[in-house]
Amino acid sequence: MNHMFRKLSVTVTQQASALNQSLCRSAPSIQHPAWCCAPGNERQYKGTPTHGIGRWKYLLPKQAPKKKKDRNQTKQILSATDTAHGTLNVKVSGYDMTVVEHYSQYIHNLCNRLGIDVAESYALPTKSTEVMLVQDQGNKTYVDAVLKTHQRVVQLSSLNASLCPVFVDVLLKNQPEGVQLSVKEHTEADFQARFKARPELEGLLAQISQ
Amino acid sequence: MAAPCRKMASRSFSQLLYCFNRTAVGSVGCRRFSVTPVGRARPQAGPAVERATSPWTLMAAVCLQRLPVISADESPIEQRFKQMMQQMELEKSVLSDHELRLLEDADRMSRKQAGDYDSDEEEGHGDQEIMLGQDLEDTWEQRLKNFQPAPRVRADVDKDLTSVQRCLADSLVLLAEQQVGAEKLWLLPQAAWQEGETLRQTAERALGSVTAADLKATFLGNAPCGVYKYKLPKAARTESSVGTKVFFFKAVLADSAPAKAPNTALLWVKKSEVQKYLKPAYAMKVDRFILSL
Repeated sequence: MNHMFRKLSVTVTQQASALNQSLCRSAPSIQHPAWCCAPGNERQYKGTPTHGIGRWKYLLPKQAPKKKKDRNQTKQILSATDTAHGTLNVKVSGYDMTVVEHYSQYIHNLCNRLGIDVAESYALPTKSTEVMLVQDQGNKTYVDAVLKTHQRVVQLSSLNASLCPVFVDVLLKNQPEGVQLSVKEHTEADFQARFKARPELEGLLAQISQ
Repeated sequence: MAAPCRKMASRSFSQLLYCFNRTAVGSVGCRRFSVTPVGRARPQAGPAVERATSPWTLMAAVCLQRLPVISADESPIEQRFKQMMQQMELEKSVLSDHELRLLEDADRMSRKQAGDYDSDEEEGHGDQEIMLGQDLEDTWEQRLKNFQPAPRVRADVDKDLTSVQRCLADSLVLLAEQQVGAEKLWLLPQAAWQEGETLRQTAERALGSVTAADLKATFLGNAPCGVYKYKLPKAARTESSVGTKVFFFKAVLADSAPAKAPNTALLWVKKSEVQKYLKPAYAMKVDRFILSL
């Protein structure tokens, strides 16, 4: 009995080794697995396989770096077309600063609501006026009061022609007392008037031109 | 639409600049305006446009408004809120120069009246010792008493519908009695459109024909703000005239006291009174663009 089992097991093992040999002979045609092909110094992952999984900024298009000089003259002065006015300056001026500022804020908010593009909203320098009265008993004038005129400008980049009468009508109906409203076109001279005069530069330029 | 709209699109804009003043000092009745026209561009001679003959007669009308001169009276809630805000601001505020001066003067007076007063120790405030803060206040009080402000509401002028000075707190619209077809109707001054002019020029002409020539009005824009159209009764309709379309243009009165032309009857009415004078269909369209703010 035993010697029969032994014969069976021997035959089984013989068959297995024969199979193995056949397998091994066909093995050289199979490629090596991928990870063996990569060079030894570059690993596909650092620490964990999900390293850098949330990266997205490299997908965005490249932006040119912002230059500081552009800030002063980025706005183009638009000219009028057939259906729209060009760049307009809505200037609000008066003696009472709170009223003037609130009215200019009202204008700005109204433009935002009506969909009118506001290019800029700035303040011009305050002008002081001295009121001098002649004294009752003599010819000497004395300073009676100092009146300060505050000015605020809301610059609109373009105003649709059909919207213009409605817009100006609303501004006029809501104009407070003691406040002057002026709607004018924006010119290069207006823009240059905001800058401070540089006397030493002008003096040097005059010397060069002489 | 017929010719005029196309014309308006093809002509370049005339830019008018507005300057509106609203000051207490100045002529009563209107705000002062300054209008500087900037280069009214010449209309381009476009190619010969074929006139599509439309059966509608075109007219342009002007909605001339006199803006409010004084601010409206406040409602009770507004008055109470205003008082509360003034009190809060007063409590939070800092002393002004004049108030500091009053305090210094009072301090100096009390020091002078004390027993051991040495005038050499005082700092030099020459002017302030001659004219005390209190004296300044007295002179100001005197000047305020001499000032007589004009009355805000004058009942007799308010009732006169033809006066432009009535109801200074509201905005008024000009109405004229004009002949339309067979009858005389109250409506916004209008004129028929003629060849070769823009609708805005027609509206200006309408205003000039109804009022005196020296009336200064600032038109608010080149685009109309409203339209009213009506068809003629079936009996009067022909091939070439089905009805009329009226385009309204907004303008604001720039001068204080316009002299009215004697031939037409004029009225200055508030928005609430406009319903009484205009026909219902017309009034419905006109109501939409008159702002009562």
